[in-house]
Amino acid sequence: MAMLLGLAVLGSAACAERTPTSVDPDLFPGKPTSVAVSLSWEEFGSNLKVFGGFGDVSELGEGMVARSFGGVLDARTLVRFTVLPTSASVTDATGTSVTDTLLSLQGGRVVAFMDTTGSVVSGPVTLELGALRQRWHRASATWSMAVDTAGEQRPWTEPGAGPLERLATAVWDPSRGDSVVFFLDSTAVKLFRDTSEVARGALLGMLTPGARLKVDDVALRATVRASRADTLLELTSSWEALTFLYTPEAGAPGDGLRVGGVPAWRTTLDLAVPARLTGPPSLCAAVGCPVELTSGRVNYAALVLSSRSTDPAFRPSDSLGVDVRAVYDPSALPKSPLGAALIGGYGKMMGPGLFGAGEGADVEIPITNFVRAILQADTVAGFPPPHSLAILSAVEPSSLAFASFWGVGTPRAPRLKLIVTTSHSVELP
Amino acid sequence: MTGRAALLLGMLLSAPGPLLGQSLFNAAGLGSPSEPLDGRTRALGGVGIGLRGSAVLGSDPAAAAFFTLPAGYLTAQPSWVEFERSDRAEEGTFRGTRFPALGIAYPTVHSLVATLAFESFLDQRYEASDPSTITLDGNPVSVQDDFVSRGGVSQLRLGLARRLGRRAAVGLSAARYTGSLTRRVQRTFHEGVDTTSVGAFQTGGFWGYSGASVTGGASLFLGNVAHLAGSLTWSGALDATASDDSDGASRSYDIPLQLRLGATAVLAPGLSLSAGLARADWSGVDDDLRAGASAGVVSSYGFGVELSRASILGRSAPLRLGYRKTDLPFGLAGGKPTETAWTGGLGLNLSQVGELVRAGVDLALERGERSDSALSEKFWRGTLTVRVAGF
Repeated sequence: MAMLLGLAVLGSAACAERTPTSVDPDLFPGKPTSVAVSLSWEEFGSNLKVFGGFGDVSELGEGMVARSFGGVLDARTLVRFTVLPTSASVTDATGTSVTDTLLSLQGGRVVAFMDTTGSVVSGPVTLELGALRQRWHRASATWSMAVDTAGEQRPWTEPGAGPLERLATAVWDPSRGDSVVFFLDSTAVKLFRDTSEVARGALLGMLTPGARLKVDDVALRATVRASRADTLLELTSSWEALTFLYTPEAGAPGDGLRVGGVPAWRTTLDLAVPARLTGPPSLCAAVGCPVELTSGRVNYAALVLSSRSTDPAFRPSDSLGVDVRAVYDPSALPKSPLGAALIGGYGKMMGPGLFGAGEGADVEIPITNFVRAILQADTVAGFPPPHSLAILSAVEPSSLAFASFWGVGTPRAPRLKLIVTTSHSVELP
Repeated sequence: MTGRAALLLGMLLSAPGPLLGQSLFNAAGLGSPSEPLDGRTRALGGVGIGLRGSAVLGSDPAAAAFFTLPAGYLTAQPSWVEFERSDRAEEGTFRGTRFPALGIAYPTVHSLVATLAFESFLDQRYEASDPSTITLDGNPVSVQDDFVSRGGVSQLRLGLARRLGRRAAVGLSAARYTGSLTRRVQRTFHEGVDTTSVGAFQTGGFWGYSGASVTGGASLFLGNVAHLAGSLTWSGALDATASDDSDGASRSYDIPLQLRLGATAVLAPGLSLSAGLARADWSGVDDDLRAGASAGVVSSYGFGVELSRASILGRSAPLRLGYRKTDLPFGLAGGKPTETAWTGGLGLNLSQVGELVRAGVDLALERGERSDSALSEKFWRGTLTVRVAGF
């Protein structure tokens, strides 16, 4: 058995072997050739369409306030707070912790937390806080409608959730922090805590024109006096509904591509991948043309979009994540089922500068596996591989802002970029 | 299950494959020969024929005639190699273990001994890497090209041997070529592109080997002082058949006639001198090779002395020393590469009853060099043969 052990040791040595390896290029039977190929829209694309209306503002779970931003955009935030506690644990004269239900409201404050990077503001701005007087529906409220459901349509008395009963104003200086505080008396606090009031809700607006603020969170903090007169408590209520209204809504793009926004925009297109390549000259010189374009030869495929300046009112102030998905039934658009995200995660991140001063920059959206599937022409569950793509926000909806790209018929129309590698066949010596 | 049966089973299960790469000359032509020699032959600088005693050797089919009991063996061969290109552009090391031979011998009726062996023949395993920078879309991009050649040619051999009286023996074996080869080129992209999005390119093929060869041999004892042996191997074409999804085509290669002669002389009681030579003309395969590869006449010779009365811890442990020089049929730069090695080793009979060795090992260690005008390799090569009998 000692010999058997010796064999096992030798076997282990075999597993740890290093294959004879050299960097001598002469030992290669033939080196591959790689080229980048750019196909024009006419060579690969067709049937480009832009659809809007996916998702709604309430899905964002955030607020926004704006006044004449970009010259046109007004936005107000609606918030409904959770019920304030009616009792609190306090320490009595003997030092024992007891539950006190005899709390008396003294006043309070509403604190709004801003997203400093997602906001467009150049200095201190004045905000207003008001109480709503009309019943509203979180999921369907718009600038003009308080309720807009299948069973009920009820407009605001005044567009924009008006008329507004202003309770307080406050100045937010972005250089001094991310929160703004509205101080309230007890009467105002009662407006927000009265659960018997169907219109219960606060409205956050902006008085200073030219800014657009993204509101991450809003909280109500009530100050109450315990039954022991020397004890003051602060009770906090978070929001149970948070949304915003805005006007005007973005019109459909004339000749460009649009992705993102809320409700969200999607761009769809059909793809045709050539079966063989007749260029570029470097490829033909290396392996001869035409070269059959097979899935194994495509290292990389990407839609190349040229960024376009977006209407200032809806221009991104933060990076946007864009993804692509296969369209399984183009005839059913805009309601066609879509495939899995081809990029995944947060998608292809695009900086806000691309859609302002940096317009005209090329943005590549990788679709390698999609193109390979077309070239393989393998059916999945009896269906041929999809040839249509939807370009959409990676998280939909993700923000009021959207991305714009130059469309078909312009010098900066979408292109298909391919990195193709091929070689002579690998033969025996 | 007896201990010996367990040992035999262990030998069979331990063999991971007939060939693992041990030389960059594997990149030349059809690869480098991987001779299925046992530890005793290696230690004596032999070419695979002409030693006294019983053995299962594809190159000496008559040697099996001297088995009196069923026997089995397995040979393992680790190597440690340093290489240097003649232009001094590259040097490095690698190591590997291969199992060049595995077989059994079984005495049957009428003094016939049947043998079955699985042997290595050509080693084609190597890899090459070539990092470079290419231009894509006007931008420099780092790429790494890798070539992998994995596999080789083996032989499954069936033989018969028989003693002719007390002074002679003959043997005949037929072998079928087997084995496979995978050759693959891959390009991966590095700096200059988004490596998370740009995939690798890969192409290549898979070939299965087939063909047949026949070896005949004879040996003659001149009293107790000398032993002569010779063998001749005729081979049909070595066919490499490409799989359906291979890029490359099927090929066929002419394998040359191989002639071997060997002799052993007893210089004194317990001291013998053995020598052998072999020759094969591989130039006929030139027509089958692609441009840039060529082959020539291959000659080998070797000699060694064996001190058979040595012992370790009371057990018989023959000591062996030798020298060997072998041409390789395929070179990297057009010239004929040569391998030379000083050899040494010992045998150890672990279980012996009288003259019958029931279990033993033969260990060889070689220090040698392979070189042509393009490449030089210095190597240490060990060979361990484990043999059992009487199971």
